[in-house]
Amino acid sequence: MTIRTLRDHGQHYRPRMACLNKAEALVVEMQDQKNGVKASEQKLNVTTIPHVMSGQDILAWIANHMKVDTQEAQVIGTMLVAYGYIYPLQDHKKLVLKPDGSLYRFQTPYFWPKQKWKPEDTDYAIYLAKRNIRKKGALDVYEQEEYNKLHKWMNHKWDFIVMQAKEQYKAGKERKKADRVVLDCQERAYWIVNRPPPRTHSALDYGIDRLIDPNADEVKKKTLDYYRRIIIFTQQAIMRSRVKSSVSLGAIVKYVTTFKNHDPFLAPCLPSNPWQTDDDTYWELNMRNVEVPTKMRVERWSFSFFELLSDPRGRADFKVFLKKEFSGENLAFWEAAEEMKWGTAASMSEKAENIFKTFLAPGAPRWINIDGRTMGLTVKGLEHPHRYVLDAAQTHIFMLMKKDTFYRYLKSPVYKDIQKKAISPAPHNFSDAQLEQNAKNRKPGIDPIIIWQQEEEEKAKAAAAAGPIDIKKLMQNKLDRK
Amino acid sequence: MGKDECKTMLDALNKVTACYRHLVIALGSTSDSQNLREELKKTRKKAQELAVANRTKLTALLKDKTISKDDRAEYERLWVLFSSSMEILEVDMRRSLEIGQDFPLKVPTRHLIQTGMTGSTTTVAARAMSVQNMKYEADASIDTADLKDLETEIAQVDQMMEEMEMKVQVAPWAVEAKQEAGAELKSTVSVGNSSVGVISICEEEPKEAAEGEGDVMRVFAGVIFTAVLLIAGILGYLVINLS
Repeated sequence: MTIRTLRDHGQHYRPRMACLNKAEALVVEMQDQKNGVKASEQKLNVTTIPHVMSGQDILAWIANHMKVDTQEAQVIGTMLVAYGYIYPLQDHKKLVLKPDGSLYRFQTPYFWPKQKWKPEDTDYAIYLAKRNIRKKGALDVYEQEEYNKLHKWMNHKWDFIVMQAKEQYKAGKERKKADRVVLDCQERAYWIVNRPPPRTHSALDYGIDRLIDPNADEVKKKTLDYYRRIIIFTQQAIMRSRVKSSVSLGAIVKYVTTFKNHDPFLAPCLPSNPWQTDDDTYWELNMRNVEVPTKMRVERWSFSFFELLSDPRGRADFKVFLKKEFSGENLAFWEAAEEMKWGTAASMSEKAENIFKTFLAPGAPRWINIDGRTMGLTVKGLEHPHRYVLDAAQTHIFMLMKKDTFYRYLKSPVYKDIQKKAISPAPHNFSDAQLEQNAKNRKPGIDPIIIWQQEEEEKAKAAAAAGPIDIKKLMQNKLDRK
Repeated sequence: MGKDECKTMLDALNKVTACYRHLVIALGSTSDSQNLREELKKTRKKAQELAVANRTKLTALLKDKTISKDDRAEYERLWVLFSSSMEILEVDMRRSLEIGQDFPLKVPTRHLIQTGMTGSTTTVAARAMSVQNMKYEADASIDTADLKDLETEIAQVDQMMEEMEMKVQVAPWAVEAKQEAGAELKSTVSVGNSSVGVISICEEEPKEAAEGEGDVMRVFAGVIFTAVLLIAGILGYLVINLS
């Protein structure tokens, strides 16, 4: 019993090689006595074997019958030879149709390629054993290798293979000599097509377990250019910065330990998950511009400066702190740079102008303190502004704030105040009746457009307040009162 | 003994399988004919009879729990031989069905593939049936009528193989072959001179052909030489006697 794994992956229903049926029809038509290919006889010492054709006859017939030109006929003919419908008598390992007088013969239908009849290894082993008998042990190198391989892993069937090979050999001897020759040639041609010798490939190579990757480059000439590119690529790969896994894993562990209480999957949502209880207290408490933030939120601000800045409530708090310290220009510049990064392309040059006037020009009202090199780069870049022209300066300012202002903020009374004020909502415990009540009382939240409008108003107010203080006007008022 | 009987029956089945394969190879080619179809039918029937006989014998032997371990190993080996034969038979039967359907004989424009084989396969069939001469008695529509029989027979073989796999618990991969690599060379040393000539034609080397025929010549020369020696001996004896 051979374990028959159905490895054709359903291809027997949807044959990929649909061309085989057409090729068969063509070959049958070639057999016609009147209109088919002219056949002559092959004379070998004492025997004559009929039904042999020359390459050019086949070519002429194909060109005539299918009404194509010689080149196309050549291709079709080579295809027929490559699939094994016609086999060459001389130079039997090269499966091409030569347009000269070289001889070809038709293959018997038993040995025609059919997708559902996969050439089995058992049959191949029997063939090799027969060939071994005939050639008295002098097989080709690749055949000998295959023989040894098959002997090794088909060992349990080896008795059968030997017996069957001997019997087939003896049965073959019962036929007349010419037929024996033809039989030999046929079988050999079949196995050259289906088990191609090394450095050739079979036209029947298809499907998932094919030997040749059709997407690989055909004959890639390894020129100097190719090698140069490979060298550059590997050099750059070496230069890439690497982090030891101990370091990166340590960072992951640190991150997880800090954030594990804040993770929405690992920690429960306080007071209650609005999706489950239909009670939107959670969302109300965590809005962008809420007066009193939750304790979790405030704790999160202390983790890193980035967290503080990304939370709008945190940023607002930080702004309040900076106003007290009279060092708001750093944050203002950072926000302006963010706006430039995320803003529209049309407003880019205008924004660049404003930023330069407000922050970077010498003697500007809100001059930021960055080192000379970065300043030089930024000013030069602002001549042809693009989205990321302020990137270097922004990073510098960010690091400044982080290393200096952030820690002062964390120790400041502003932060401590807000920490005390922060609320820690108790988890809800709704009964079923209450849940139903909640579901009935669902109402839509504030329209995000309204929120955005509110924010814009606030920004405008802040911008006006942050503008250069017009001393004259101020004094004017005071003078007037007098 | 059970083993020897089995072996002879298996040998017979093996022979019939090999011959059947030769016959199926000839299907659809120019050596195809009504006779071939009939030969196929007869060989097939014989193969089935042998298969059934083998199967009953082997299943009986393998079901017997009282046999020794060596015996059992031997029977398992025979079982693997039997099942492999059956697989090859089944494949060949299926193929002959397809090719038979593709190449019917009694159509007005018959296009049999000109493979170069023109001889008849009578001798092969005779070998399979273990008779001296084949008798042909089928009617003209054998090619189409036979195909229906063939289908039923394939179904029968399928069923038989399934039953075999179900009833007998033999692990085929655990069987160790008795023959080693290259065993086929040993017993076929006396391949015969003519076959050397056959291969050479295929291998495009006319020199070997001359060598092959040279072998025949050598035997012939030897015969003539001994004949001459005998005549010389007789003449000498006569001379001595007469003088």
